[in-house]
Amino acid sequence: MSEPTAAAQTPPKWGSTEMLPLPARYNGAVRALAAKRFAATGADWKDVVFDRQFDLFSLADARAVEQEALDSGYRFDFSATVSLESEPDKYKRPEKAASTFADGPVTDGRRQVGIGDNVLRRTETVSGPVALISTTEQVMGFLADGVPAGTIAVIDDSGGTLTAPIIEGFAGVICLGGSVRSHLGILAREYDVPTLMNCQIDTLTDGDVVEIEVTAAPPAADAYETGDTGHARIWILEKGA
Amino acid sequence: MDLNYAKLLETNNYLRQLSDTTYWLCITRTVQESKLFPMNPYMLLSYLNTFYRLPTLLREIDAATPAEELGDRAREVSLKVDTVNAAWGMPAFYLIGREMLMNWGLLGPADAVDDVVDVLDFSRRFNLAYHRNDGHLTNKEFGDRSQFLPERTLQVFESDLHGVVPGDRLHTAATKLIAQLSQYAFLAHCECRIGIHTSGPYNFGDSKQLIVRDFFELTEGDYPWLDGIATQLPHTNLTIPIVFKDTNFHLMDDWASFEAEPSYAASNIAAVGMYTADALTDGYQPVGMDNAEQLAETMESYREILNQATADLWKRIASWSREQMIDAGALVYSSVAKDFAHLAGTYRQSDWFELDDRVQRFKPLMNDEYGRDNLGEMVGLLGFPHQKTNEYTMARYSGLNQNMLTGIPYTVLTDDDFARTAGSTLSGSSSLPPKNGLWTTSAGRLEIDDYNTRARDFTPAVLADGNRYLDEEWVKRNYTSDRADVLYKAAQSTSRTLSGRGAGLRRADLP
Repeated sequence: MSEPTAAAQTPPKWGSTEMLPLPARYNGAVRALAAKRFAATGADWKDVVFDRQFDLFSLADARAVEQEALDSGYRFDFSATVSLESEPDKYKRPEKAASTFADGPVTDGRRQVGIGDNVLRRTETVSGPVALISTTEQVMGFLADGVPAGTIAVIDDSGGTLTAPIIEGFAGVICLGGSVRSHLGILAREYDVPTLMNCQIDTLTDGDVVEIEVTAAPPAADAYETGDTGHARIWILEKGA
Repeated sequence: MDLNYAKLLETNNYLRQLSDTTYWLCITRTVQESKLFPMNPYMLLSYLNTFYRLPTLLREIDAATPAEELGDRAREVSLKVDTVNAAWGMPAFYLIGREMLMNWGLLGPADAVDDVVDVLDFSRRFNLAYHRNDGHLTNKEFGDRSQFLPERTLQVFESDLHGVVPGDRLHTAATKLIAQLSQYAFLAHCECRIGIHTSGPYNFGDSKQLIVRDFFELTEGDYPWLDGIATQLPHTNLTIPIVFKDTNFHLMDDWASFEAEPSYAASNIAAVGMYTADALTDGYQPVGMDNAEQLAETMESYREILNQATADLWKRIASWSREQMIDAGALVYSSVAKDFAHLAGTYRQSDWFELDDRVQRFKPLMNDEYGRDNLGEMVGLLGFPHQKTNEYTMARYSGLNQNMLTGIPYTVLTDDDFARTAGSTLSGSSSLPPKNGLWTTSAGRLEIDDYNTRARDFTPAVLADGNRYLDEEWVKRNYTSDRADVLYKAAQSTSRTLSGRGAGLRRADLP
């Protein structure tokens, strides 16, 4: 075996590569580039690692790594709407959310269209028309015009900041992600807004009138490790019922 | 630096504890994502910024006020150098940044050894002093508890807090203010939880427990984006001690968040109060505590101010570019230790609110997907190749042959092909509008030079004149002494009910 030039760049004995595709691709590219650049210096590692760190990896190198991925046709998942809006060519377009729940039969004028985890147990279920909220423009609109009484927000973001200025105005919240410990779950508890987290639902559209089972028991402390979740039900109230 | 084998053994032991605890914290939470903020990209950049800048900043602070003295300060009142920011976040963020660079082949495990040892030495001394009353290093080591306050402070809380029942004016005002504070703190901190802190529980007898909830950075101060926001609020930090009945807070973790059985419910709140503290206050300062009506009125007015501030700040943030959102979030995380500089009187805005040039070069990598997956790989899957250990090992919690954080090889004592420090020259920038406002303190709204001067000249009474070493073990057998009386009377000086009562009180003696 040849003597490695620098321990920092010798592939480790027990690991091989990352498990997820983009980290494997990007980190592998940075590692390869850094090794090539170091070899080209002909200097000792200790004289390069900080004193010539921009020779090992530069802003232009980072841009090249990204460009190589984009040129290959790779498009990134987005999480913040600002990312998609500011760099639309780099991100996958959002697809219309597929139904994650097979709806049930109509019983007593209502049909089950989803399940979720109840944040705080109440004595009565809550009903109201839904508003699907995922952009800052929508929140700005509610800020200007107010939240219509009785609105149940359907939010695909378990964070607490997107809907920060308007959350108190909702009669209920259906959150399509997170857990009862997520920031939105914490705030729902503090504000005493009836909320189901981690919901799986059939497709809902603005104005559908739903009922959420906030009388259900919240998940046990270990529910997210055991998978014992989704005990609160969501129904759509059939028109004319 | 005088680096030796014993020092390295101690450093690696502390590093491994942080590694295990951080892994446990990460896997017991869901992935943090936000539709508003590109959180994961900013988190990765913040770790790198911490790696490059923290050692230099801590050395200056440590020379002005040693870490263990800063721990003494944080043990007496609620300061932002708390469990989640200083005790856990500061060393963890530094070490996670180191992991990222190692994984890229841009750093070896021996490189920056002086920096790693110094950061962990500072962190360890701070944590030991901060936790002096419970005698542990972290909440995890104590069994997920956080009991750093002394008896003299807890007696004032027990005696001065106002009783409430669900539906009365104060109960309603308190629960609404706490909700508003939580909301605002998430927003001001770019969706992360580090503006919110909880400690305790403390046994308050009769099936009651006290937890202490703190909210930091409420108006103009270090964050440039808070200039002109909530300026009617006279305090930048608020502490709300809450007594719960029939609720057992069985977990208070190193992220300063809690779990309770039955779960936290406002209907079980039995008493509340409100205080403020900062680098210039001598103990907790009561806020609106004269009577229950005054407290309710104060809480209602603060809630109104913060409700408007939330809308104002949200509109400001919603107009930011992606880079501005990323810079703000990264700076929130990489400045978790900034309040050490306020205590030491060494604070400079550019130290804590610029992204270093060495970090800026990685920005093009930080799309949302890479941010999410590289973070998940590093702190959840532990899938970086160098995070694997030999095939016989079984790590704490996972049982797998992998560790989140990498130890320092002992060959640094004999070999020499590594660089000892990342260097002390700091150069950086930010895409955010510069800070122009004042700093809100208990001494009024100040310019930063004035704030630093006052901080350097200030020592709280309970740490002055030899009081520093009068710990709970000493009190146990010296409570009848004049020195104990002086100590307790200092803590009681702003109490409505215990002023001047001294050191001899036990629970049954409280009014």
